[in-house]
Amino acid sequence: MALIETRGLSKIYTLGKNRQVVALNNVTIGIEEGEIFGILGPNGSGKTTCLKLLLGIIFPTEGEIEIMGENQYSVTAKKNIGFLPENPYYYDYLTGPEILMFYGKLFDIPVSVISSRTEELLHLVGLYDARNLALKHYSKGMLERIGLAASLINDPKILILDEPTTGLDPIGCKETRDLLIKLNQAGKTILLSSHFLSEVERVCTRIAIFHRGYLLSSGTLDGLMKDYQAENLEDLFVKTIEKFDTQEKQEVA
Amino acid sequence: MKKAWIIALNTFHESLRKKTFYILLVVALVVIGASRFFSFLAAEDELKMIKDVSFSTIEFFGALIAIFTALAAVSGEIEKRTIYPLLSKPITRSNFIIGKLMGQSLIILLNVILMSIFFIVLLFIKKSPPDIETFKTIFLIFIELVLIGSITLAVATFATDAFNLIFSFFLYIVGHLISYGKSLLERVENVVLKGLGEMLYTVIPNYENFNIKDKVVVGVQVSWQYIGQTFIYGIIYIAIAVLIGIYFFNKREV
Ligand SMILES: Nc1ncnc2c1ncn2[C@@H]1O[C@H](COP(=O)(O)OP(=O)(O)OP(=O)(O)O)[C@@H](O)[C@H]1O
Ligand SMILES: [Mg+2]
Repeated sequence: MALIETRGLSKIYTLGKNRQVVALNNVTIGIEEGEIFGILGPNGSGKTTCLKLLLGIIFPTEGEIEIMGENQYSVTAKKNIGFLPENPYYYDYLTGPEILMFYGKLFDIPVSVISSRTEELLHLVGLYDARNLALKHYSKGMLERIGLAASLINDPKILILDEPTTGLDPIGCKETRDLLIKLNQAGKTILLSSHFLSEVERVCTRIAIFHRGYLLSSGTLDGLMKDYQAENLEDLFVKTIEKFDTQEKQEVA
Repeated sequence: MKKAWIIALNTFHESLRKKTFYILLVVALVVIGASRFFSFLAAEDELKMIKDVSFSTIEFFGALIAIFTALAAVSGEIEKRTIYPLLSKPITRSNFIIGKLMGQSLIILLNVILMSIFFIVLLFIKKSPPDIETFKTIFLIFIELVLIGSITLAVATFATDAFNLIFSFFLYIVGHLISYGKSLLERVENVVLKGLGEMLYTVIPNYENFNIKDKVVVGVQVSWQYIGQTFIYGIIYIAIAVLIGIYFFNKREV
């Protein structure tokens, strides 16, 4: 059984009376234990919408979600999830350790455990020296880093990361990639969204390509490249999307 | 409940960082302090004046703090997007609303305590130490303020800040005048109008119920039974406000 499963997941945003945006259209995917699953797609293709639905932050228009056998609102399921939102923002008057303490307590983790994990995590994301700095003085990349640390405070089985390397410098990107692989080897299942094809190419065991709310294709990188006769991920990405767009044009015509 | 409490402490912490709290507190203290300069009055009248002004100030500035903290509690989290990491934690949406209510009530409590200390010091200076009636008055004001805050919190789960602000102040005024409405209502003959009026009278919290200062200032004792009844009256309205807040927040996309 998949660790995370969506069945016919759709999301329509309603803006005013007659304006609707179909952000996600009938998406069915399963993420198996031990995977690093990458969601790829152009801007506005529905990646963030999909991840927000998985966390119960927004509600599906149609379809179902199952996480470790429970629905997305289940408090028990959430105990096993670490989430890094897109462009994360936290209480900016707190310091890194204070943020981790607050979230750690919400997971019912003993204070002593939170403290020792905090030390470890701050070293891991390279924010140990900034431990006394309030988050309002953080740079964009530092916020992303503390977000990653915060998503690990409960030592989660599942990590859901919305563009984890946006705002990071090249070294930060590489460090994050290495970290994700290490976490995966330690048994964590990772679901991430990204724009960076090379990043996805290097870390993900399986990918899904989203476009205008549709799931165009999903599978292992090698398998998909064969199917589309693509040379690399970039080629695959472009071919998948072009194929969809021409099909759609033909349908209209 | 433990999780709500963790959120409450975080909310309390956050409100303490806001300038609004300190500005309102300082202005309130200045007003209370100024009340002692009515020394042209006879000593007895002056004391009444100090009490009257102080109780009114604690209530009015407390209401401002209650409304502004409750406004920030929900929409602040949504605007700054701190709500995303929060809701992805193993908490329920009712934990969030109850936590916010407890947090803002702590802020209100701190504010009432600070203003009361100042007021009581003033009473000691005037050689008239506070009696139990003074504390009864302050207690009911506190309950009223928690109620005011809980209504603003509930409305914040579905309405915009601008609407909420206007609504909360409107309700503050109406809730204080509603007793007059009741006496007017008795003279209404039309059954439909009367029924409608009765309904409004039941739905709208009567904030004047919490106001016993007019009696206390002139030395009339208020029974414990009245305090108890009014306390329960307040708790019922607070509970209803919280339920409304939870209901709408459960449907809210952030
Ligand atoms: N709250 C909202 N209200 C209305 N429309 C929305 C809302 N959030 C997203 N959308 C729309 O839904 C679509 C998908 O947006 P989403 O944020 O999921 O894309 P994305 O793939 O994460 O894009 P990006 O790569 O830019 O982060 C877009 O067309 C967007 O305009
Ligand atoms: Mg996005």
